[in-house]
Amino acid sequence: MAVHAASNVSEDGVVVLHCPPELEREVLVTHDRSLNWITENVSLICEERTPKWWWLAFLIFSPIALLVPLLLGYQVSNGVGVWGENQPFGWAWDITNFVFWIGIGHAGTLISAILFLTRQKWRTSINRASEAMTLFAVMCAGLYPGFHVGRVWKAWYLFPIPNWNGLWQNYRSPLLWDVFAVSTYFTVSVLFWYVGLIPDLAMLRDRAKSKVKQWAYGIAAIGWRGGNRHWQHYEMAYLILAGLSTPLVLSVHSIVSFDFATSIVPGWHTTIFPPYFVAGAVFGGFAMVLTLMLPARLLYPQIDDMMTRNHVDKMAKIILLTGTIVGYAYLMELFIAIVYSGHFYEYNAFYNRATGWYAWHYFAMMFCNVVTPQIFWFKAMRRNYIVVFIACQFVNAGMWYERFVIIGTTMAQDFLPSSWGHYTPSWVEVLTFVGTFGFFLTAFLLFMRFLPMICAFEVKAVTPQADPHFEPRQNDHSASKEAAAAH
Amino acid sequence: MSKRILNHPTEKETGPKYWRSLGQVADTPEFKSWVAREFPEGASEINLETSRRSFMKYMAASAALAGLSLSSCRREEKNLVPFSRGVEWSVPGKAIFYATSRPHRRGAQPLVVATYDGRPTKVEGNPFHPSSKGATDIHSQASLLDLYDPDRSRHFRHAGNVVEEKDFTAALEALVKDASDGSGIAFLTEHFTSPTFRRLRDDLAKKMPKALWAEYEPLGGEEARLANEAAFGKGLRAIPNIAKADAILALDCDFLGFDEGTLEGIRSFSQRRSPEQAMNRLYVVENRYTVTGGMADHRLRVQAGKVGAVARQFAEIIASKTGDESLKSVIAKFPQTPAFSAEQGKWIAESAEDLIAKKGAVLVLVGYRQPPAVQALVHSINAALGALGATVVGRKTSSKPGATIADVSKGIAAGSVKTLFILGGNPAFNAPADLKFAEQLANVKTVIRHGLYEDETSLVLRGGKQSWHVPAAHYLEAWGDGRASDNSILSQQPMILPLYGGWSEIQLLDFLLTGKKSEGLDLVQETFKQIARGIDTESWAKFLHDGFLAGSQAKAEALALSAASVADLAATFKSSEGFEIVFAPCAKVDDGRNANNGWLQELPDPITKLTWDNAALVSPATAEKLGLTQDQKNGLFVSWLRIEANGDVLEIPAMVAPGHADDSITIALGYGRTFEGRVGGREGNYMSHGGWGAKKSGVGFNAYKLRTLAAHYIASGAKVSKVPGEKYILAITQEHGALEGRGADVIREATSETHKHEPGFAKDQHWLHERGAMDAEAEKRDKKGYPIPQSAYSHPELKDKNHQWGMAVDLSICTGCSACMIACQSENNIPVVGKEQVAEGREMHWIRMDRYFVSNMNDREEKIGGTHLANVNEPRMVMQPMPCQHCENAPCETVCPVNATVHSDDGLNVMAYNRCIGTRYCANNCPFKVRRFNFFDFNERQKDKYFRWNLINEKGMADTLKMSKNPNVTVRMRGVMEKCTFCVQRIQEAKIAAKVKAKDTDKVQVPTDSFQSACQQACPTGAIVFGNTKDPNSAVSKTKDNPRDYRLFDYIGVNARVSYLARVMNPNPKMPDAPKDAIMGHSNGGHA
Repeated sequence: MAVHAASNVSEDGVVVLHCPPELEREVLVTHDRSLNWITENVSLICEERTPKWWWLAFLIFSPIALLVPLLLGYQVSNGVGVWGENQPFGWAWDITNFVFWIGIGHAGTLISAILFLTRQKWRTSINRASEAMTLFAVMCAGLYPGFHVGRVWKAWYLFPIPNWNGLWQNYRSPLLWDVFAVSTYFTVSVLFWYVGLIPDLAMLRDRAKSKVKQWAYGIAAIGWRGGNRHWQHYEMAYLILAGLSTPLVLSVHSIVSFDFATSIVPGWHTTIFPPYFVAGAVFGGFAMVLTLMLPARLLYPQIDDMMTRNHVDKMAKIILLTGTIVGYAYLMELFIAIVYSGHFYEYNAFYNRATGWYAWHYFAMMFCNVVTPQIFWFKAMRRNYIVVFIACQFVNAGMWYERFVIIGTTMAQDFLPSSWGHYTPSWVEVLTFVGTFGFFLTAFLLFMRFLPMICAFEVKAVTPQADPHFEPRQNDHSASKEAAAAH
Repeated sequence: MSKRILNHPTEKETGPKYWRSLGQVADTPEFKSWVAREFPEGASEINLETSRRSFMKYMAASAALAGLSLSSCRREEKNLVPFSRGVEWSVPGKAIFYATSRPHRRGAQPLVVATYDGRPTKVEGNPFHPSSKGATDIHSQASLLDLYDPDRSRHFRHAGNVVEEKDFTAALEALVKDASDGSGIAFLTEHFTSPTFRRLRDDLAKKMPKALWAEYEPLGGEEARLANEAAFGKGLRAIPNIAKADAILALDCDFLGFDEGTLEGIRSFSQRRSPEQAMNRLYVVENRYTVTGGMADHRLRVQAGKVGAVARQFAEIIASKTGDESLKSVIAKFPQTPAFSAEQGKWIAESAEDLIAKKGAVLVLVGYRQPPAVQALVHSINAALGALGATVVGRKTSSKPGATIADVSKGIAAGSVKTLFILGGNPAFNAPADLKFAEQLANVKTVIRHGLYEDETSLVLRGGKQSWHVPAAHYLEAWGDGRASDNSILSQQPMILPLYGGWSEIQLLDFLLTGKKSEGLDLVQETFKQIARGIDTESWAKFLHDGFLAGSQAKAEALALSAASVADLAATFKSSEGFEIVFAPCAKVDDGRNANNGWLQELPDPITKLTWDNAALVSPATAEKLGLTQDQKNGLFVSWLRIEANGDVLEIPAMVAPGHADDSITIALGYGRTFEGRVGGREGNYMSHGGWGAKKSGVGFNAYKLRTLAAHYIASGAKVSKVPGEKYILAITQEHGALEGRGADVIREATSETHKHEPGFAKDQHWLHERGAMDAEAEKRDKKGYPIPQSAYSHPELKDKNHQWGMAVDLSICTGCSACMIACQSENNIPVVGKEQVAEGREMHWIRMDRYFVSNMNDREEKIGGTHLANVNEPRMVMQPMPCQHCENAPCETVCPVNATVHSDDGLNVMAYNRCIGTRYCANNCPFKVRRFNFFDFNERQKDKYFRWNLINEKGMADTLKMSKNPNVTVRMRGVMEKCTFCVQRIQEAKIAAKVKAKDTDKVQVPTDSFQSACQQACPTGAIVFGNTKDPNSAVSKTKDNPRDYRLFDYIGVNARVSYLARVMNPNPKMPDAPKDAIMGHSNGGHA
C-alpha cells in the first residue's frame, strides 16, 4: 500500500490517518527492533566479556580518581593553605568546582523527573545513564563543601545533631540551606534512580549465569517478579518520586545560588541568580550527558537504535534553549548592574569582570556559553555527532568559567581597593579537580559495566511495536520485516 | 613488714562471751593474727607505712596502667605546675604592671610592662611620663618578642666554643689585672644614654686614662652635632617645639616617624591637626614618601641631595624679604646651587612667603641625614624667622664628643688596639664599607663582644683565638636607667631573670672597675644616689613606680646663632649630581637591629606595604626610564636593579614608589643580614612556591656595603641599570594603592576652608548622590546624622543598656605609623606567617593600615609595568586604619552556618573559635575584608614546614615564645577564622570589676574611659578613640558627635560601630599643588 496522501481509505472502508512524512514523528527505536532484541542488547553490555577498551579506560581513570583521597588527605593534614585561597579569596576553586559539579548533577533528574511528568517519551533511553551521572556528579560536588572547611573534623557541626551545649545551626545561613538541599537532592536522586532500576535488575538476575551475579542482582532486585501488583506499585512509586524530584531539580541550584545572592558582595548580591543558575545547570548538565553518551554510543554500537540521532537532536535543542536563557541572564545581569541599579559598586563589579584581572575568564565564559550553542539552530549541526561533542566540551568549559567568574572576579575586587587581591590555584587543588574527573569517569565506567545503562523496560514501551495498533510498514527495509516476523 | 595493729577493746572477763568463729573460741594463733590484721590476707599486704602519700602513688600508677593502651598512642602530655606557694600580689589572670624603659639609639622610651606570673607579655607607654602619656612606638611594642626570641645569644663563647660564665670572668679578671693605664684597650659602644653607663664609663676612663672610647651608631647624629655646634656653640643643641609652630617646613626630616621623631613631637603636631582648633600647616620636602610626607599639606619631591639647594632657595627668599643680615652672610658662603623648574620655584616661593607671614610661629626642620652645611643653614633660617626661643629651644648636651669608629679603625690599623670591647651594635655588619671593619677585627688580639645576638660581629670573632662573646641581657631582664627624649631620667627595672644568663653592659663595665659581677640594681642605685643627691626607700620606690625621676627633664636654654661659624660650615656644601642612592632607616628593623623580630619583619612598611624585604624604591618615571617592570600576582614580581656606587655593586629588586623623586633611589638599611637568626637571618625568607621545590634565602639586601664614611646617607653619582632576566618576588600586604574612584566614599576629605563652611561635609554622601544611587532628600537619618538604611527586618535593640562599645578614628591625625598593628599583634597573640604566606595574601593582622595614593587624575590612565597604581607622579597619600567594624547588622553573622560568629549584648561582633569550622563565608561577605583565616597552623608550625605532610609531627612553638602570649587571649588553631575583638579581654576585665563593685545590685557600670583597646593605647597621636558609646561622657561618644564623623558603607545597612572623622587638610590656596575641589577626593581617581 502506498503511503503518499494525508488520509486514505483502507480496504475495509476505515479511514486511516497518515501524516505527511515531513511531519511524522521519528520513531524512538529505529529499525523496528523487537523487544527481545532490546533485552538482549541492553543486557549484553553487562554480560559480555569486559572489553579491552574498558580495561584501558579503567586503568587510566581509576588512578586519577585516587588523587582525590590522596590530595584531600594532604589538605586535611596540613591545612587549607595548600590550596591557593587567601584574603580576599575565601572561596575560589573549591566552591567553583562545587557549583560546577552540582550543576552537572541537574540533567539526570531533570530528564528522569520533569521529562517523565511532561510525557517526553524520548527520555527513556537516556534517563538511566544521566541519573547515574547525576549521582556521581553530586558525589564529586559534595566533596568540596565538606573538605574546603578549615576544620574538616568539625564539619559535623553543620548537621542538627542534639548536643550537650545546646548549640544549633544558623538557619539564616545559605550554607546551611545548601547542606539540606544537597543532601535531600542526593537522597531522592538515589531513590529515584534505584526504584527505576529494579525491573531491569530483575531482568539481569533472571539472565545471570553465575551464582554470584544471581545473588547480587537478586538482592538488588528485591524480589521483583513483574507481576501486575508490582507494576502498579512501581508506577505509583515512580510517579511520586518524579513529583518529589521535580521541585528539587529547581530548588537545589536555586539554593546554591543563594550562597551568592543573599550575600552583600557586589556581583553576588542579585535576585537574578536562582533562575539563571537553574538554567545554567540544565545547560551544563545536558552537555555532560552528551559528553558521556556520545562515546558510549561509539563503544556500544548496538545502542544506536535506542539512542538515535533524534535523541541527540532533542538534547541539542535543550542546550540551545537553556544556553540562550543563560546568555539572556548574562546580559540582563549587565543591564541591572550597569544601567538599572545605578550603584557604583555593582557597576564596578561588572566592569571589573569584563576588564579586570580575570577578564579572559569572562570572555571565555561568554563565548563558550552564549556563542557556541547558537550553532544548534541548524539541524545538520544538531545531528552531527562530532559537532555536538565538540560544542558540548565548550559548554562544559564555559560553565566552569561561569562559576569561576562569579566567584573569582567578585572576590578579587570588592568594596575596599586596599583588600583587592590575586589568586592562583595551587597544584593541589588543580589535581584534586582532575581527580574528581577521574572518580566521575571511573564510577561511570563501573556503572556501564555492571548495571543496565539503558532503561530496557521503558524503551520497550516506546518502541513502535509496543503500540497496540502497530503494523509494520511495507516500505520499510527487510530488517524490520525480520524483526516483525521474530516478534 | 610492719602492720597496723588494731587494738580491739578487751573483752570483759565476766558475763556472756560473744564469739565470731570457732577459731575465736579456740583462740588459735591463726585467729589472733587474723584479728590483728582485721582485714583478710592480701589487702593488708600493701605497705601502709607511708599512708596516704603512697596510696595516692599507687592510685596514680594504677590509673596510668589502666590507661596504658590509650595513653601510649597520644602525644606526650606536658604540665604547667602552679606556684606551690602564692606569690605576693600575683592573682592568676591579672596583670601586674611595672614601669621601665627601653633604651634605643637616641635615648630611652618610658614604658609600663604588663606581666603575668612573672612573664612580661605586653609593653605599653608610661602614662605618667610627659613624653609618652601612654603612647608607644612600633619598636617598643615589638621589643617584647626579642626578649623571648629563641635565637638570642644563649652562651658565653671563647674562640667560637661554648664556655662557662666562670671561664669568662676568669679571663676578664686577668685582663683587668693587666690593664694598667688602659693602653691598648679600646671600647666601641652604641650610643648609650644611661646615666649609670656614663658614670661607669667616666670612672673607668679615670682608671684607664689611655683607653680609647668610641661610639658608633649607623644612624647617628654626627652631622647634627657639627651643625649644632657651629650654630649655637659647644654643648648646646636645638630642640624643636612643634606645638608652638603654626607652619612647619620639614626638609628631608621625618619628624613624625619613629626614626627621628619623638612621641612628644608627634603628639604636639597632631594636637594641632584638628580643624576644630587652629590648624598648623605642614610643608614637606623629601625624596621619598615618609609618614611625615603623608601628613603634609604640601609636598615637594626632590632628590635628597637637592634638599640643600631647596634650603638655599628658601634662605635666599627669606633673607631678601626679612632683610636678615646673618642669614645673608651665610648664604653668601653657601655654594651656588642649580636653579629649580618654574613649578618647583613657585612651590618654594609661595611656601617661603607663608613662612615669612607667620614669622615667630614657624619652624624649619631638617633631617639628621642632611650634610652639616645644610643643617647649619636651616638653623640660621630658623633664626631669621624668629624661631629661636619660640619654636626652637636649646638644650645642653651631656655627651662630650668621643672617638668614632674611624678612630678605632685607625687604632687597629696602627696596632695600638690590642683589646677591643664591642658593647652592643653590630659593626661587622653596619660599619662604613670603606673601613672594612669585619676584616680588621681579625687583626685585634682580643675582642670582647657583648651582644643580644650572635650576629655578624660575633660570627667574625668565632675565628679569633682570644675572642669572647658575652650574651647581653634584654632590657626587660636587667636593671638600668636611661634618658627620655626630654632628657628626664628613666628607671629600667627587670621583669624577669635573664632567660639565657645574659649580662647587662653596666655589669660588664663594673666588672672592669671592681673585678666582680655586681647586681645591676646596686649600680643603678649608686647613680641615682648621685643624681638625686641621696636615696631613701621612698624616693627610690617612687622612681621605680613612676618610672622616671620627676623634675629631671632638661631646661630650655637660650640659643644664639653664631653666623660666622655657620657660614664657615655652609661653605663645605657640595652639590650632588646624577643618580643618587639614599640610605634610609627602615621603619621596622631600624638599622638592622630588629631584623630577627617576626612582628616587625611582617609589619607592612607604612608607606610601601612591603614585608620581609627591602627594595630599591624608584619613582614611576625613573622605573620607566630604567625599563623596570612590576607585576602583581601572588606576590609582586619585580625587576632587579644593579647599583654601582662607592666601589661596590649591589643587586637589589626595585619597587616602584609613587611620590618618589626622580633619579633617586632609596634603600632601607638593616636587611641582608647573614647571621643565623631564623627570622631575619640567612634563611629567614622561605619560599616553597606552594610546594614545587623549595628555595631559601636571606631577608632583604644589604645596602651597608655601598655606604662609606664620606657618603654616609646619600651616595651620588651611582651607576644604575636593570638586570635583565629573572624577577624577584616581594611580599606586599596591599596590592592596590588607588581608590578607583571611591575616594569620596571611603576616605572623605576636605580643606579646612570647606570644613569651616560645611562642617558636616562628611555625612552627606555626595559621592552617592552624584551617581544617583541615593536620594539625599529621601534619606532618613538618625540623631547623629547617620543615614538609616531601609531594611526589611526590624533590628531589636541590643540588651546591654549601659555598655555599647564603639570606636572612632580621626583620619586627620592618623599618620599611618602602624604602632597599632604591633600593639594588636602583641595583645592578641597574632601569629607571624612568613614571607611566602604574606605574598599569598594570608597575613593575620587584625588591624590593617590601608594606604591609598590619591590624585586628581583618572588612575586608569596611568599604569606602571602592568600594575595599577594611582596617578603615580604627584599623589597625595592617605591612611586608614581598618579594624573589624563591629557592624550592628553584621553581614558575617548571617552567613555563618554554625553560629560561630554572633553579636554580643554589648555590641561586639564576637567569634566563638571553638565553634568555627572555617567555611570562610563570613570573610567573603565582609565588606571591609577584616577577617583573617588561619590557613596553616601558623602558631604551631615553622614557616618552612607548612607544606610537609604534617598530621602528627613537626608541631609546637618555642617554649620561650609560649611565654610571650597573653594568657587572657586564646591562641587560635588552624582552620579557624579570627578578627579584631575590640580587645574583648580588656572589656571583660573592666566589666567583671564593675560587677564585683555592683555586688547584688544591677548597677553594673564600667567607669568612663577606664580602659583602652590595645591599638588605642599605643597610638601616639590619639587618632584611635575607643569606649562606651552609651556613656555620653566617654571620649568616643564625644568624638562621634563631631560633625566630621562618618561611617563606611552606610547604604548597605551594616551600621558599623567604627566610624571615621573625615580628614581635613590645611592647604595654602596660593600653592601650585593646592587642591582644586572644595571637597577633596570629589574627583579622586576619576570615573570608575
